[in-house]
Amino acid sequence: MKSAPSKAAEAIVAILVPPACREEVVGDLHERYRSPSQYAFDAWITVPLVILSRVRRTADPQVVLIQAFALYVSFLCAAWFKDAALLQAQWGLLRLAIPAGITLLVVMLEDAYASPGRRSPLRPVRGPVLGLAFALASQGLFWSGNPDLALPRWILLYGCAMSLLLSCAVRMLFPPPTNQLHGANAPADWLKQVGDSDENLKALPAIAAAFLLFLVALHLWK
Amino acid sequence: MAKPDSLGQFEQLVMTAILARREDAYGVTIHSKVEELARPKAVSLGAVYVTLDRLEDKGLIASWLSDPTAERGGRAKRCYRLEALGERVLEESAVTARRIWESLVDVWGREWGRRWGKELR
Repeated sequence: MKSAPSKAAEAIVAILVPPACREEVVGDLHERYRSPSQYAFDAWITVPLVILSRVRRTADPQVVLIQAFALYVSFLCAAWFKDAALLQAQWGLLRLAIPAGITLLVVMLEDAYASPGRRSPLRPVRGPVLGLAFALASQGLFWSGNPDLALPRWILLYGCAMSLLLSCAVRMLFPPPTNQLHGANAPADWLKQVGDSDENLKALPAIAAAFLLFLVALHLWK
Repeated sequence: MAKPDSLGQFEQLVMTAILARREDAYGVTIHSKVEELARPKAVSLGAVYVTLDRLEDKGLIASWLSDPTAERGGRAKRCYRLEALGERVLEESAVTARRIWESLVDVWGREWGRRWGKELR
């Protein structure tokens, strides 16, 4: 019987585990190795919980809620301007929630898988861009498989554009934490991470103005 | 965020395991101690990680990475220790558990207490 997992199996597990806890989790699974089936079962029940725990640590519920609202409102406004009939249609509001939900999920996972300590100026943009790419890909699948669930092309494009704008703005205001700060009764993580939160709140009118401008532009376009 | 002074049963088990393992408290050893304490219930390693993260967020435990070892494929261990607040909260939980035990002995009788006391030992 082998005393260590195969390099391929360990590489797969290492890819699946978020970088912030990769070292200890992959090491612990390596140490517990008895057989390939035991290793696979151990990884199968451990890795999802590790990912969920990491998502919980990197996602501030208040910011997630703001982002969910911003994403959904973007698609709602796009539908309102381009084809208001969709809002009255059966499952119309639910169809609008699909790309918003997919984008939010990908953004949360992107934060969870971010390397701790590595700061990039593109970080606020990377998550939403990736999320919207996945949302567009899912809509492509719906168009070919189940058109009833797909959104009309223009609503999708306008919704994505507005989502990108708002989502990036929210992430610039409340940057995603790279590592949870510890301490009893700690305030919301983003409050600590941004440091000077007043400075960031000054950007709020600019974001609101950008959103209004976008709405006006959409209305004129219509 | 949960209050640091509210400990769930599983959190108590994990903190007791960290305390019992002293300098050798990391994922694998904590998990084996928790399984020993929680028997006959099975405990997954993932559940231990989730609880360790939560306890760290509450400020009850602290962690650090040790040097990599060959038996772990060149990977480091994340070691844990109780913070002062964690020790105090665990102490309070133990006192509460003792009070529950004594109340149950009062209700269900000394014979019940002796029987379970033997099994616990």
